[in-house]
Amino acid sequence: MDETYDVIVLGTGLKECVLSGMMSVSGKKVLHMDRNKYYGAEIASLSPLEDCFAHFKREAPAKEQYGRGRDWNVDLIPKFLMANGQLVKLLIHTGVTRYLEFKSVDGSYVYKGGKIFKVPADEKEALATSLMGLFEKRRFKNFLQFAQEFDIDDPKTYKNVDAKTTTAADVYKKFGLDGNTQDFTGHAIALYRDDDYMSQPCGELLRRMKLYSESLARYGKSPYLYPLYGLGELPQGFARLSAIYSGTFMLDRPGTTIEFEEGRVVGVKDNEGNLAKCKQVICDPSYSPEKCKPVGKVVRAICILDHPIPNTKDAQSVQIIIPANQVNRKKDIYISVVSYAHNVAAKGWYLAIVSTTAETPDPEKELDVGLQLLGPIHEKFVSVSELYEPVDDGKTSQVYISKSYDATSHFETTCTDILEMYERITGEPFDFSSLKTAQLESED
Amino acid sequence: MAGRQGAQRPNGATQGKICQFKLVLLGESAVGKSSLVLRFVKGQFHEYQESTIGAAFLTQTVCLDDTTVKFEIWDTAGQERYHSLAPMYYRGAQAAIVVFDITNQDTFARAKGWVKELQRQASPNIVIALAGNKADLAQKRMVEYEEAQAYAEENSLLFIETSAKTAMNVNEIFLAIAKKLPKNEGGGPTQSRQSGVKLNNEQTQQSEGGCCK
Ligand SMILES: Nc1nc2c(ncn2[C@@H]2O[C@H](COP(=O)(O)OP(=O)(O)OP(=O)(O)O)[C@@H](O)[C@H]2O)c(=O)[nH]1
Ligand SMILES: [Mg+2]
Repeated sequence: MDETYDVIVLGTGLKECVLSGMMSVSGKKVLHMDRNKYYGAEIASLSPLEDCFAHFKREAPAKEQYGRGRDWNVDLIPKFLMANGQLVKLLIHTGVTRYLEFKSVDGSYVYKGGKIFKVPADEKEALATSLMGLFEKRRFKNFLQFAQEFDIDDPKTYKNVDAKTTTAADVYKKFGLDGNTQDFTGHAIALYRDDDYMSQPCGELLRRMKLYSESLARYGKSPYLYPLYGLGELPQGFARLSAIYSGTFMLDRPGTTIEFEEGRVVGVKDNEGNLAKCKQVICDPSYSPEKCKPVGKVVRAICILDHPIPNTKDAQSVQIIIPANQVNRKKDIYISVVSYAHNVAAKGWYLAIVSTTAETPDPEKELDVGLQLLGPIHEKFVSVSELYEPVDDGKTSQVYISKSYDATSHFETTCTDILEMYERITGEPFDFSSLKTAQLESED
Repeated sequence: MAGRQGAQRPNGATQGKICQFKLVLLGESAVGKSSLVLRFVKGQFHEYQESTIGAAFLTQTVCLDDTTVKFEIWDTAGQERYHSLAPMYYRGAQAAIVVFDITNQDTFARAKGWVKELQRQASPNIVIALAGNKADLAQKRMVEYEEAQAYAEENSLLFIETSAKTAMNVNEIFLAIAKKLPKNEGGGPTQSRQSGVKLNNEQTQQSEGGCCK
């Protein structure tokens, strides 16, 4: 403890662990601590199941009621990886992927008029879907093709659309898409959570549509991936990367305080008063609440089920998106389902998380429309979490704070935050090519 | 992860099975975990082996009758020093070597701690071997062979004294583990568990997919 480090990282959430790994790989001396006994912080997968009950201050279930407790790894936050997204890129470039195994999520569904429809994953499903009529399908297909071919560096692909000035609403109009198709495109494919994007330039919409198509093309069933044993494996993988590059890890260290001199960080004190000196601190909002502001609330219900979700062809994993418009809201509701097929539940069991950004004084009630799609629920753990962001960029204090995990259903915004933090911390953008997988660990 | 059944050779002769297993090493710092791996995988020994950083993931195969056993060996990378080893480390491991230094009683006590932890947290059918390393320093012995042997028997562990320095019993311990691992179709004891895909750059399985095309 009584040593000098370049960087001290507090909290073992995914963002902190990725940054810890990046810092260690670049030769920095890193000390990484967490107040909890387990890795993952906000993004932990709780195991055994008894720990999940304890986390929500509930009495432990009857013995064997839910099979063996240690077969469970319950995520606190629901997210999937886009198969062609930034996190996958980071996993591959750092070599961390070798510690993990993934499964493709079976299907993506969208809610319309009180029912759920499969988001078509191939041509056959597209022809068969009752999501839209025949002529609309043709218009939509044209638009998709345009989005896939659109290349910001190649004006030939523009077709009179200016990515910087044409709005999303305009581009929909240009392709003659009706309101339902717009809803479907913006929310189930581009994964916008509200309609604010409609008045924004369409470049971002096109980029998101392309990411969806390219992710879908990778494994076929859906654009999403999920790691076996739960999301908590992701921070652990990057923590191992950091450790291999001589990062020091200490769990179960409650009561740490960040110490300053003249507004600049000088070190971190543990609860016995020992000071570890450092030049920079990276942490999640809970380690430096006074430098954070609340920016909204997310409500999540973790549900234990003994059956797959009705009307999903018994899928072992799915995502269901309830576009805000369909239920008179501002923000979408998401449902993500994983199961024993991902080693996160005992044989025969499923875990569903229904979540959204809170809009009313009774957030739990806002989830009802989602909960109703699940069928009988054995156990339900509801939480309302405040989301935080740092009040400044951290350059003066040299304390760099990550944003809380938002309500998005994937890791794209998580990675954006990581890469922005990296740039603020080091003064340079992160260079993916600086990491050569082959050099990381000698194999054979 | 799980073992695979070997393919039929074109000439009709059955090629042996190839089974792959994850093996983890555990034990106090400086007991010789990395040295054992280095000896086993590369046949080398360094008098001044650095505390492990870097090469913490190696593979080596051993042949047993008609079966090729491929070990995916995970050496610890310092996370164990402050009791911060990630559960992912022994997740799905089919075998573990818990190492102690026969010249140091404390390392034996710590080894017992690791055995307990494995029995509680790892796969129920994990094969655990206890290695009393640095057997070449027998004149400085602090842990009696009989004591460790008795403990191993009580806990159904394999027990062998080894020396990474002289190579004594190093191949033997891996072979003994290989023999004890179940090599039935579908592989190891984790076969009831699911397996998934590994991500890599080339893994574009189908490109004609595309939504609603
Ligand atoms: N005499 C003798 N020395 C050994 C033997 N095995 C390892 N050593 C020495 O013991 C020291 C520690 O060995 P390592 O292999 O680095 O130990 P480790 O368990 O990997 O240590 P950490 O990586 O710190 O956990 C080195 O100086 C080795 O040369 C052995 O069988 N006999
Ligand atoms: Mg070592």
